[in-house]
Amino acid sequence: MVERFQVAAEAVGAVVKRFTTLADGADYVVSVAGTSPVAAPSLPPAIRQTLAGLAFAAPQDFPLANVGISVAHAGIAATGSLLLDLTDPTDRSATALPPVHLVFLDATTIVPTLADLAGLLEENLNRPSPAYLSLTTGPSRTADIERVLTIGVHGPKELHILMLEGDASWTRD
Amino acid sequence: MDKGLIQQKLDNTFLRKALRNFAAAYPVARAKAFEGIDFEKLRGRISDFKMAGLEQLPALVEQFTASAEKSGARVHLCTTPEDANRTILEIIRSKNADFLVKSKAMTSEEIELNHYLEKNGVRCLETDLGEWIIQLAGERPSHMVMPAIHKNRDEVAELFSRETGKECPPDIPYLVQTAREALRSGFLTGQVGMSGANVAMADSGTLGIITNEGNGRLVTTLPRTHIALVGVEKIVPSLTEALDIIDILPKNATGQKITSYVSFIKGPTGVEGRELHIVLLDNGRLRLAADPAFREALKCVKCGACANVCPIYELVGGHVFGHIYVGGIGLVLTPFFHGFDKAEEILKLCIGCRKCNEVCAAKIDIEGLIVDLRDKIRKPFGQKFLFGTLMKNRKLFHAALRTAYLAQKPFQGEGGRIRHLPLVLNRETANRSLPPIAETPFRDMFQRSSRSLVPGPESREKVLFYSGCLADFVYPDMCRDTVTSLEKLGYTVTFPQEQTCCGIPARYSGEMEVARDMARINTDVLLNEEADFVVTICPTCTMSLKHDFGKLLADDPVYAEKVRRLAAKTFNFSELAARKAGTRDSGSGTSKGERQVVTYHDACHLKRGCGVHEEPRKVLQELAGMEIAEMTDCDKCCGFGGSYSIKYPEISQEVLKNKLENIAATGAQTVAVDCPGCKLQIEGGLEAAGSTLKVEHSATLVARRIG
Repeated sequence: MVERFQVAAEAVGAVVKRFTTLADGADYVVSVAGTSPVAAPSLPPAIRQTLAGLAFAAPQDFPLANVGISVAHAGIAATGSLLLDLTDPTDRSATALPPVHLVFLDATTIVPTLADLAGLLEENLNRPSPAYLSLTTGPSRTADIERVLTIGVHGPKELHILMLEGDASWTRD
Repeated sequence: MDKGLIQQKLDNTFLRKALRNFAAAYPVARAKAFEGIDFEKLRGRISDFKMAGLEQLPALVEQFTASAEKSGARVHLCTTPEDANRTILEIIRSKNADFLVKSKAMTSEEIELNHYLEKNGVRCLETDLGEWIIQLAGERPSHMVMPAIHKNRDEVAELFSRETGKECPPDIPYLVQTAREALRSGFLTGQVGMSGANVAMADSGTLGIITNEGNGRLVTTLPRTHIALVGVEKIVPSLTEALDIIDILPKNATGQKITSYVSFIKGPTGVEGRELHIVLLDNGRLRLAADPAFREALKCVKCGACANVCPIYELVGGHVFGHIYVGGIGLVLTPFFHGFDKAEEILKLCIGCRKCNEVCAAKIDIEGLIVDLRDKIRKPFGQKFLFGTLMKNRKLFHAALRTAYLAQKPFQGEGGRIRHLPLVLNRETANRSLPPIAETPFRDMFQRSSRSLVPGPESREKVLFYSGCLADFVYPDMCRDTVTSLEKLGYTVTFPQEQTCCGIPARYSGEMEVARDMARINTDVLLNEEADFVVTICPTCTMSLKHDFGKLLADDPVYAEKVRRLAAKTFNFSELAARKAGTRDSGSGTSKGERQVVTYHDACHLKRGCGVHEEPRKVLQELAGMEIAEMTDCDKCCGFGGSYSIKYPEISQEVLKNKLENIAATGAQTVAVDCPGCKLQIEGGLEAAGSTLKVEHSATLVARRIG
């Protein structure tokens, strides 16, 4: 399933990196983000801790950030899609404005198809409180000029999926 | 329809190339996206739940409204475009705002929102790349999913240069980057954001939005007020149904398994002060949903697939083939959303090939609805006499055809074909010669011959041959070959002399009452005589006898049952002949020399009207001893479409041109068809181009082999 996910995600232009420890994943984040401030408003404490060396941008500076970082709730193998809970508008800005979007994904949360996510989606949407859930598949794209596929219009030009296999300690709050 | 505009589109080489390339690439991408998915099952489900939803649409609207408001959204049900425009303006004004930043919403085009808001001092910015391009150009979308498919990179570069004040080269990645930079400040400063929605869920009050560019997420995030303009027909009961739509839509629209972003939005999210207004647009939908004859049009999920496969759209684009909603379903929705005056001309543009029906995500009988809608539009002068008086009276009609045999004589060229018609018709028939009306129609030929009057052994199954007018009066030999083939295959054949036109020309011209009368007359004639089968050689007649009679006379207490009986025993020649394949030794091809190579053209009404496409191939291979060299797009329309080729000869000729190219590429010397109309069209095109290729009906090829 992990392989199927990777093939599907790469087919739509995502970068998929597989890690067995959170520390290796964090190293990769640092290698991409460098020293410029990142848009990462709501990372779980374990991830936040391993990324302590990064500079974190304040929400009003997200339009200037080069990299946004988030955590997926699940993956879909058939399409290489990620399920993100973006109910907080700040999280949406962090994943929508910067040209590079890095997403942590727990490999054990990958399901075969969209239909297999129905339960999880339902659970979130049937609560009385407002919600904003997003399925993200690859970088932003358009084919509006002469049907030529072009990556990166208004959303991220790059989507990097940091898939963690084995070490699940980071998923705990 | 403005002939000048049609010609202008036909002459637009960029448009033609763009649409042709798309038409070629789309089926490949679509097939790949649907790999491993049962399309028929999926669209069957969608069709069922959409239909059930439409039957109780007011209840769904009520449920959605309650759920959405419970989550904190404000819902505004607007009856007319004016209501919706005014409501949206009021929301914007209540925020002291004058700048609306928008992602793509066809509903906004439908109510011409931008025009209204700009007039009232609100600036609107379209941020979907295609929508922005056409906003800058001051045009309207020519496709529901790809609004600017008619614009090339040079035109876009010019528009962007003018807008940004810097010289933009016609380089697509550069232009996309320019749009990213130019629109970014719009997202950041827009005071109110607007989106549409692809689906709305009644149980939770959630909106589903399917996008690729990422602008949809920005306009629903950065401004503190979000207005979603949603047609009421988008409401489905729950997430279960919404997921089916999310599953099928991108695959059918652009051949993507899923789009980059699918957002589920429930209520206003974030801190206090954020608002979500859902403007539910009625604009005739609730009335249409209550109309059993046409409600199925609202099953549409707006994927645009009907345009993607339409041979006429491929030639003229959405600015001709549609109004605001384009493609096949655009023709159907226009009268209900924008009035019959806007629909009158475009409804005539459909050639009736049913390609759209085959791919429709909601299994809508688009072509059938178009035909039914023609009943409601103004009829051309003279049509009343033609259908009302002439065609309803068989003897008069057939007498007129016999007279036409004499009248055509001065125009016949060498070999009897008609190359030049008088006056204005001449120009438009220049690329196709027409066969003459025969001196002796088949009905007379059959009556004079005694051969088939001799009944075969009692054990033989009996066939009533229903030839159709075109074969009867123009291709009597084709009819004779049919009788010969059927007899050789072991049937007894008779030809009821009282049979008359199947009524399709009347039905296609919107003369439903005449079509009903023709259906009654033919049903009586064909049921009067005991027979096992009724066989036709014209797919349009087959479709008429098998399906249309039932539809036309569904409410007729006497005929509803009769037409069902008739439909059950009606078959196309190939279907019946195929039953005898394998029982004869005609396959080896050794007895009469090498196997002849033919290419096969699927008639629209046979493949999509009757679901028959394997049988003809079986007949050609096993009974006629032929080898088939398949052509590209073998099931794409030849451009005939009955009277279409006379009403829109310029379009018909272009469709034909594509067909002739595909035929030539196979290298076959014979084109096999199962339709006299296709034969007329293709033969005419070949002859006018000086080709020596022959077009033959399957019945003729079988007769030659076993006759």
